[in-house]
Amino acid sequence: MPSPDQQQRLAALRETIADIERKPALAEARVRVEQQGSGFPILAGGMLQEIFTDERRNAGALLGFALAQARGLLTQQRMAVIYLQLADEAQKLGMPYGPGLLSFGFDPDALVLVRAANMAELLWAAEEAIACRAVAAVVADIGSHSKLLDFTASRRLSLRAAATDGSIFLLRYGQGREASAAHLRWRLSPAQSAPRRYDAKAPGPLRWHAELEKGVLIKKQTEWLLGWTENGYTAFTPQRRDADRLVSDAPLSRAVPAQLADGLPQTA
Amino acid sequence: MLFLPNWPTDYLKRHDARLAAPLALYERIKGGLRLAAVDAEAARLGLSVGQNLADARAMVPELTVREMDRPLLEAAFADFADWHSNTSPLVAVMNDVSGFGDLVLDITGVAHLFGGERPMLRLLLTRLRDLGYTVAGAIAPTIGAAWGISHFARSQVVERAGLETVIDALPVNALRLAPVQIAGLSQMGLKTIGQLRSRERKPLQARFGVSLLERLDQAYGLIEERMTPRLPAAERYAERRFADPIGLMDDVLMTCHDLAIQLGIRLEAEGQGGQAFHLFLYRVDHKVMSLSVNSARLTRDPEHITKLFSNRSERLAGEYDAGFGIDMIRLAVSSVAELDAVQLGAFSHQGVTEDLDQLNDRMSSRLGTLAVLRTQLVESHIPERAARLVPALVASNQDRTDWPAPSRPLRLLPVPEMVAINAEVPEGLPASMIWRRESYKIERASGPERLGAEWWRSGQRLQLVPPRPPEKGETPPYIPKLELFEPDGVTRDYYIVEDAAGRRFWIYQQGFHQPGEPAIWYLHGFFP
Repeated sequence: MPSPDQQQRLAALRETIADIERKPALAEARVRVEQQGSGFPILAGGMLQEIFTDERRNAGALLGFALAQARGLLTQQRMAVIYLQLADEAQKLGMPYGPGLLSFGFDPDALVLVRAANMAELLWAAEEAIACRAVAAVVADIGSHSKLLDFTASRRLSLRAAATDGSIFLLRYGQGREASAAHLRWRLSPAQSAPRRYDAKAPGPLRWHAELEKGVLIKKQTEWLLGWTENGYTAFTPQRRDADRLVSDAPLSRAVPAQLADGLPQTA
Repeated sequence: MLFLPNWPTDYLKRHDARLAAPLALYERIKGGLRLAAVDAEAARLGLSVGQNLADARAMVPELTVREMDRPLLEAAFADFADWHSNTSPLVAVMNDVSGFGDLVLDITGVAHLFGGERPMLRLLLTRLRDLGYTVAGAIAPTIGAAWGISHFARSQVVERAGLETVIDALPVNALRLAPVQIAGLSQMGLKTIGQLRSRERKPLQARFGVSLLERLDQAYGLIEERMTPRLPAAERYAERRFADPIGLMDDVLMTCHDLAIQLGIRLEAEGQGGQAFHLFLYRVDHKVMSLSVNSARLTRDPEHITKLFSNRSERLAGEYDAGFGIDMIRLAVSSVAELDAVQLGAFSHQGVTEDLDQLNDRMSSRLGTLAVLRTQLVESHIPERAARLVPALVASNQDRTDWPAPSRPLRLLPVPEMVAINAEVPEGLPASMIWRRESYKIERASGPERLGAEWWRSGQRLQLVPPRPPEKGETPPYIPKLELFEPDGVTRDYYIVEDAAGRRFWIYQQGFHQPGEPAIWYLHGFFP
């Protein structure tokens, strides 16, 4: 009969193993994030991330958030990011624009745009692309709801992503959340930009408000106020508009909401 | 040379079993309905081409008539011709006299595959006769001679040595002459080509023009006649024939894989690789289906080629129709260039650029070449011209000048959308705007950035390709009246605006503000 202390340790170890077996990518990511310390975590590849925004008019911020993460995954070996869009949604959402990518800090040569005719082809292209070892990330911009994009489809994508170490970003719009096997789910909205030096009336450095709805990266922190420059992310205290003070291990300024079903770290 | 005198009627009868003999096709010629084609049964009853339709109906009351559809028949004959490329790679439709009926095959170096010229001709003729076509054929050293013999003599193979005696005996009609020339020759009492050949050439040329002598020389092989093959001749191909026709796409793809291996071995031995691959499927019922795929870089990797074809085939799922089966498959390669012997197999090379190119190939083959794109930056200050989307297969990394990049939106709308302004400020940015039925209060803005139109084009029209000058008696072609380009009207003042929620848009005012006229505003892009 092992002692209670041993039992406790065994249970903890079992949990860790189960954690690794069920979702190795996320567990690994959490370990890495814990090593990084403060600031917005730099996430490794191999994950399926859903990024939601409430309205289509936030499309610019959504693409920016995904490309900012994708840029961190680009290496000499993995040199391309594949952007997928349904051909008939180009006018609704706009298309990634070369000079804009340059001023955002993303090399337009690294981006391949794929315009699929329908959802089946888009999902096929996503799977095909993530299986390629030269692809760092796949960004799928899905402006409308489709029956084909169900739990099975997202499970396939998440397994593929975990197997090949590339990330898939699903850009989604609207309030509805379907069952999905994504490792992380973000809710992103633009926030008022920081003041611009010498010109208070002009829009300043961009700010996004990102909320982690599913999956846990850092204990107890689910919200970030982010900035992006060509050098990477900067994180700010969620509530305050004071742009110059970086957060360092700051406690959350408000009570963490109860973890509802939505926030469960496992499959939805 | 194969001659199918009754091709139109035979073809229609094969496709519609309800058409009973005797069958005739009519056509409106100079206001009258005249027969344009008759089948064997109708010809036996005394009908002939050129007869009045009413006369023909009176002579043969049970005659079935249809209107002649020349474009359809010509297209069908072209398919039929393509199908014959399973015997020889160089096939042409001879349309000197009619758009259908005459088929030229260049069988140089092919006949031995069929056991010689005589068995080959027999095979070609019986194959078609079994299908119900009336056909005559001839193999001769010149195209002109083969045409004449197939039309006016029995089907035979004529050697170079016996060519003159055979042609001499043919009537002058066998020279593909104009009706006027034939009438003139018969007036002179010249019945056979032999008689014609023995005449002085100069008077003949003076009376009938140079074309007569040209035809004469072509028949005897004194001057060369060229044929224009319908399908480009592929130098390297692999093919397989089936004893029993196959139908399933999977079988086709398996065969394609085998052929790709054969072709790959051959290309490797030659140190070559190809960029364009074509798969020809020869159907039993005289149709050829062709699939083509392109590869971004030279390849001879069978796996990759097969993958491209299987993606391509998934794209045409509905259109694929094997009919009664496929009895031959040919895989041809074009755009061949030298490829070093090291690169074979998808994962043998360490470089990842190849992987990316192969991925682009695969996606292009299934989604279409224009669906897989890359951005190419163009030096232009007009936003929509500054980035061009080109197929990823042909895009190349470019050197970029390191100019300070102006602030540009991350997403651009392909077509700028008009926004309504409900609180107008004269000469300047409005306080709020309505876009897609939502109202936005503009909190912060920077600008304007004035992007002028291309002033060097001012006062010019769009340059069209100049039409060729009209010939005498021809009405001159229509030239559209294009408006003069006026740069002032299309100058844009761009602003980056941010609304209360932090969304950032790129909007512009079109043209210069005229007092008393409403300003026109467009939304063009989204900032992150």
